[in-house]
Amino acid sequence: MAEKKIEGEHLHPPAAMVDEVSEFEILEIAVRELAIEKGLFSADDHRRWSDYMETVGPLPAGRLVAKAWLDPEFKKLAVTDGIKASLSVGIDWINDMPSSFGTPSDYCNLRVLEDTPKLKHVVVCTLCSCYPRPILGQSPEWYRTPNYRRRIVRWPRQVLSEFGLQLPEDVEVRVEDSNQKSRFIVLPVRPEGTEGWTEDQLAEIVTRDCLIGVAVPKPDKTANDKRSVHPAINPVEHH
Amino acid sequence: MSKPQFDREHHVKKATGIGDPQCFKGEAGTAKFKVGDKVRVKDLADIFYNRCQVYTRGVEATVAELVYESPPAEDEAWDNCDNPEWFYSLIFKQKDLWPDYPDTFANDTLETELSERWLELA
Repeated sequence: MAEKKIEGEHLHPPAAMVDEVSEFEILEIAVRELAIEKGLFSADDHRRWSDYMETVGPLPAGRLVAKAWLDPEFKKLAVTDGIKASLSVGIDWINDMPSSFGTPSDYCNLRVLEDTPKLKHVVVCTLCSCYPRPILGQSPEWYRTPNYRRRIVRWPRQVLSEFGLQLPEDVEVRVEDSNQKSRFIVLPVRPEGTEGWTEDQLAEIVTRDCLIGVAVPKPDKTANDKRSVHPAINPVEHH
Repeated sequence: MSKPQFDREHHVKKATGIGDPQCFKGEAGTAKFKVGDKVRVKDLADIFYNRCQVYTRGVEATVAELVYESPPAEDEAWDNCDNPEWFYSLIFKQKDLWPDYPDTFANDTLETELSERWLELA
């Protein structure tokens, strides 16, 4: 678009705040406004929740894994009581959240799934997009897509190989379909080449993808792989 | 505006500071199944709302863990917390879920959680 210079005004036209609002966003706004009007919660409650959701990320879960690698006693606790183990990495599932009891999408039952050299876990929620947000932050877009959700339970090895993870036949792949009140993170096997590392060093290689189970930690890797996005051949028209 | 007819905050009051599903602990009575039991998922009618995946219906699984007690989703969706049930973590063989799953990977499994009403001894 050509810029039109007007004397005494900004050079650029003001950017649009929202390019496009999806139908789901309109639905969310409508339900939220109704709930506020009905007094179920206040606009301030909503703001505190939104602020809280922006502060959560995957770092505490990565640290929990690093601790478990270094301390067998802590690993035992993590596997048997994920909520209690989360306290050691600064996450209180029950009292941190503004509601103080979890919400229908973040119930307080964290299960830490321990991989072994012969067992590899991968997490999905086929019915919606359940995700251990208090300790792992917001889920990546691909985790919420029907493509991932329906295919990982049916063709797990093929989907994992699309993420660059090819597993030998003698490794049991276990898909964890998160469908009720438990939330899951994967405790991967500590990779070779990390002997003598500190907790900080170890925590850095436990990426979000490793915690979902679609990747395994590597000594030289501290970031998630970029997922390629193919443009749609027949894009859906928005109305 | 008239007063609401029932307490919309009963769940909040019960779960605050305790957690959900922790707040339902001890309310489901004796568990019908134990770890190691072979169970089959019932193909119950889908009335309104439930969280039992269609692909598990009629398939056998092994009870891996008794995970917690809670009202099942199909009751809780209507704010009914009167009948908490035991929830079981179940392990399915992929081969049982998908008949054409390759034999090469016959060890592959899938784990998910269902409440007692969905299960019967296999």
